[in-house]
Amino acid sequence: MTEPLDLTKLETPELISQMQDDLYDGLAVEVTAGVRILLERGLTPYDVLTKALVGGMDVVGADFRDGVLFVPEVLMAAKAMKAGMEILRPLLVETGAPQIGTMVIGTVKGDIHDIGKNLVAMMMEGAGFKVVNLGINTDAEKFLAAIHEHTPDILGMSALLTTTMPYMAVVIKTLKEQALRDKLIVLVGGAPLNAAFAEEIEADAYCRDAAVAVETAKKLVAIRRGQEA
Amino acid sequence: MTESNPATHRLILMPSGRQGQVPHGTDLLAAARSLGVELESICGGRQTCGKCQVAVEEGAFAKHAITSSADHLSAVGPVEADYCEANNIVGRRLACAAQVVGDLLIVVPEESQARKQFIAKAAGERAIDVQPAVRPYYLEIPAPTLETRLGAWERLQHSLAEDWKLSVDSFAPTLLAELPPALSGGRGKLTVHVWQDRQVLRAQAGYHEAAYGLAIDIGSTTVVAHLCDLRTGALCSTQVSMNPQVRYGEDLMSRVSYAMREAQGTERMHRAIVRTLNELAEQACAAAGIAVEDVLDVVIVGNPIMHHLALGIDPSDLGGAPFALTVSGPVDGRAADIGLRLHPAARLHLLPCIAGHVGADHVAVLLAEAPHESDEVSLVVDVGTNAEISVGNRQRIVCASSPTGPAFEGAQITHGQRAAPGAVERVRIHPATLEPRWKVIGCADWLSGEGGGLPAAQATGICGSGIIEAVAELRMAGLLRPDGLFDDARLTPRLRRRGRTFEYVLVGAAASATGSDIVITQSDVRAIQLAKAALYAGASLLLRRLGIDHVDRVLLAGAFGSYLSPLHAMALGLIPDCDLSRVTAVGNAAGDGARIALLNRQARLEATRLAGWVEHVQIATDPAFQDTFVAALALPHASDPFPHLEGLLPEPAQAPTASGVRRRQARSPRRS
Repeated sequence: MTEPLDLTKLETPELISQMQDDLYDGLAVEVTAGVRILLERGLTPYDVLTKALVGGMDVVGADFRDGVLFVPEVLMAAKAMKAGMEILRPLLVETGAPQIGTMVIGTVKGDIHDIGKNLVAMMMEGAGFKVVNLGINTDAEKFLAAIHEHTPDILGMSALLTTTMPYMAVVIKTLKEQALRDKLIVLVGGAPLNAAFAEEIEADAYCRDAAVAVETAKKLVAIRRGQEA
Repeated sequence: MTESNPATHRLILMPSGRQGQVPHGTDLLAAARSLGVELESICGGRQTCGKCQVAVEEGAFAKHAITSSADHLSAVGPVEADYCEANNIVGRRLACAAQVVGDLLIVVPEESQARKQFIAKAAGERAIDVQPAVRPYYLEIPAPTLETRLGAWERLQHSLAEDWKLSVDSFAPTLLAELPPALSGGRGKLTVHVWQDRQVLRAQAGYHEAAYGLAIDIGSTTVVAHLCDLRTGALCSTQVSMNPQVRYGEDLMSRVSYAMREAQGTERMHRAIVRTLNELAEQACAAAGIAVEDVLDVVIVGNPIMHHLALGIDPSDLGGAPFALTVSGPVDGRAADIGLRLHPAARLHLLPCIAGHVGADHVAVLLAEAPHESDEVSLVVDVGTNAEISVGNRQRIVCASSPTGPAFEGAQITHGQRAAPGAVERVRIHPATLEPRWKVIGCADWLSGEGGGLPAAQATGICGSGIIEAVAELRMAGLLRPDGLFDDARLTPRLRRRGRTFEYVLVGAAASATGSDIVITQSDVRAIQLAKAALYAGASLLLRRLGIDHVDRVLLAGAFGSYLSPLHAMALGLIPDCDLSRVTAVGNAAGDGARIALLNRQARLEATRLAGWVEHVQIATDPAFQDTFVAALALPHASDPFPHLEGLLPEPAQAPTASGVRRRQARSPRRS
């Protein structure tokens, strides 16, 4: 084993890359320590978030997508990320840092499976998004209430059963009726889904896994903001 | 998702489930062959033998992302039209004459398959106390005189009360028509069959002791029917068939979805299964040399969805939370009510269900294995796309179902297939050379290197038991790390790079029937990790519910359980640690339980009591499920000890990396 590393002795760029490694390894204590040191050194909370944490989670996401990392490792990394975020979140609000985006996510009505959806939620948080997780068995009303309350950029819906996935179409129809559909990016996912299904129900995209969800979310939010600007 | 190339079309073949892209204009016979499905053909494509008949299943299949239609095959030509007309073939095409011009879902009937599906479900020999619900009674009723006021039925009632102390109060609708000829034909000597001591089903002139019953287990993939002699309890014949509902949806939820989507869905699936049950009944009776009219009782078990469809009940409510059953208790009725063609008065009994995902089949397994009669704690698992799990002993039993998904049936696996001839079913990997040996279904020998040369020894893919053994062997040989990642630190030409991960070449092209390598990829390992973790997590939550940390024995039920090697199941972390000699396959225990209920009417009461007594746990909503599941993804487990695997698993290459310990040196290779 190597000697314990003194993070305070590292130069900032080296510390950032060390924090990305620590995030990859799911080391929450080291990540929070790194966040504090960077803040003490005068980095803005937004820079700490994007450079150290989101940068680290990008690597985690890519390795998950490619099959190098699996669910347990990703969850460990996401937990470490969350620990760092707890320090940063109030500071981000205080400093008026730009918002990366907000997502409302839930497993649809009739379905009680949520591990995959939770993984997406954690990865999205890892990418700096604010995530409102509505849990399982979520009906259209509950989705709508959350949309009104949080005005998210993204709505994420998940289903593990062939029999519950059609409910996604019901939610999208309700969004249209309320003239909300165009204000949202709708991402869907879950074992029985595919791209054709997403297209058929007029979601914006089908996401095969949590890593793809993050990539897609970032891409579509960027496009949307580009259009708005 | 792959974009469909206009020059190729998607072809899906049922019931094997094989699928792939085939070039536009390929004839169906060749196209099926290219996907590893051999069709029977004697004339060699001259459209004269009619052996390669197939049917197009029309409609949109969201799961496969295709729309299949009859006009996605080239139009019927004159030769084919003549042949079909001459041989009275309707609704089918000759595969050799039809070219693929669009996406298709094709059903290959059993008789057109060159290699029939191999299904190994044999009824075990169990001692069953024979107390059937339907029993024959021999009577001699005096001929009526001018003074006789009572009708024949009433005189029969009297006679049964006097001679047999039975007070029957009802008769099957067909009985009254049978009664006069039975009485006159035997000059008052007749045999009647009585159900549950209270209803007369049948009357025959003279002495007859023959009475038969059918015990049926409707699985989502296979259907097993046992024909039993109700008098002796003897097993006369066992017949097995594929479940014809496979064409409407491979897995259970696809079938529920079909019922939700199609107005006629429930009716179609109901009729399909009843047709198969009638065929099985006819085959079983023919094999035993008896008449179908001598079958007077039927017991059916199945998971809740099979159970509902057998009764013609719309299973839509079982498709989503709260997974409400239409009927949970036992069902008694007439076999003819669901369309079974036996004796018109034959009875029908369905064992009760426990919950929306734990059905009459699991009750039958419990009835057969009787964990509730033992002090030892048993773990009873029926492994399928849903694993039903029970844990406990005479004090308490808790049960649950766990969504393992179809990986154990070969789905979602790169070269996965159902258990059929040609499938790799056994795998050994030498710990030093890292070279594999394997067995394929249909060939008795262990194979290695370039295989055995014989066509029967050529591998077509890997079935569930094969993939489980392969992953467990890869782990034991150190080619897989505990986290499931291929470890390229062990050098072998068998392990080669695929993207950023690796794949293991199990069977080289020279020994395969497909002409290409049969491999196990990183994503195959991940699929198996997910499936096994669901099962293990379900079992561990049930153990926790009982406040125990180990079980005394493990019973593996179902066809799949029969092929599962206990050692490999444990090395994979599919089942919790247990003395290996106490892990046993119990075969088609659901079918055995159905036989017990057929032959013993007390067992039906016992089944009802059990279904109410066993506690059902909804594990997906258990707050601990996620952590339990995630910990169970490791091979064999992130934290649970496996003392019975001592010495079988390789020592970790690096020092164990508990949370909070720096792993920085591992960084660069993983960032490759």
